[in-house]
Amino acid sequence: MKKNLSVKNKRDILLVTLLFTLLGGIFILFRLFAFQGEAAVANVYYGNSNEPIVSIDFVNYRVIKNYDQNVSNSYDQIYPIIDEAEGTITLLGDYELSGVRQIVVIQYHYGNKTVQIIQEQSPNNICSREGVSSGWPLICLPNRVRVEFGTTPEDFTV
Amino acid sequence: MTQMRKMTLLANFLAIAIVLNIIESAIPIIPVPGAKLGFANIVTLIILYVYSFKESFAITLLRVVLVALLSGKLLGITFYMSLSGAVFATLAMGFFKKLDFFGFVGVSTLGSVFHAIGQIIAGIFVIGSTAVLFYLPIMLLLSIPAGALTGIIAQRFYKIWQAWHNDIT
Repeated sequence: MKKNLSVKNKRDILLVTLLFTLLGGIFILFRLFAFQGEAAVANVYYGNSNEPIVSIDFVNYRVIKNYDQNVSNSYDQIYPIIDEAEGTITLLGDYELSGVRQIVVIQYHYGNKTVQIIQEQSPNNICSREGVSSGWPLICLPNRVRVEFGTTPEDFTV
Repeated sequence: MTQMRKMTLLANFLAIAIVLNIIESAIPIIPVPGAKLGFANIVTLIILYVYSFKESFAITLLRVVLVALLSGKLLGITFYMSLSGAVFATLAMGFFKKLDFFGFVGVSTLGSVFHAIGQIIAGIFVIGSTAVLFYLPIMLLLSIPAGALTGIIAQRFYKIWQAWHNDIT
């Protein structure tokens, strides 16, 4: 029994080391090669939709609102709000505090081609702590707002 | 008598698992959605070794549902992700324990890896985007030290448990 256990312990150590090096290697390769191309566009999505609600075009320096969010009449604004001067987009997230849906504020930067979630309400504030992103998708889970990058701008010339 | 003791012990284990789960979800260590230490998994692992897969699976499911109920997230998006992760992890740990090739730490690490995979699969459906896959490499990498740590703690506990168990029977 004692011997059997120590054999298993050796296997365990081997397994953990092997897995760690393998997955560590994959992680480093992924980090190095996945975000080679510069992002041309960042799409902001809400909920399960695959239609971006707002598109940030880093090539032509503009922000395009594709459609409005469906919000009940108790909210006196029309979301998303795009503030070109501040470089922010304000959406209404799914996370509620005493029955009121909270806003998610996304800041974009044309020059650096980056996006950052600067304000959001959620238990752990994970997506605003993720910081500035230039290719990494930002996912705000309780709010169901996400930002994804694309390398080819969609047909914005029309 | 043994049946009654088993029931009481399982109820205690469930309570411990719920508390561990709630505590660990309040400590966000790394800013990655869904990344946790997985201390609640210690209980799953211990029950797997003390009793069997059946009990371990039942307690894990109850833990996920009850924690969601207590934190008001039942049937929310994060609920499905943790449910899928927990089911994947428990199935994987049950399988690798049956295989009888690895010890505590190995089984726990593999369970942890499968937890990450299950979570990401649920995430793809729940969020409706494959963007979640970008988190898979970091989640897998982080799951290994977390799983190993969980395994070490469970192994320590199991040794103490065996000594204690032999004393009372």
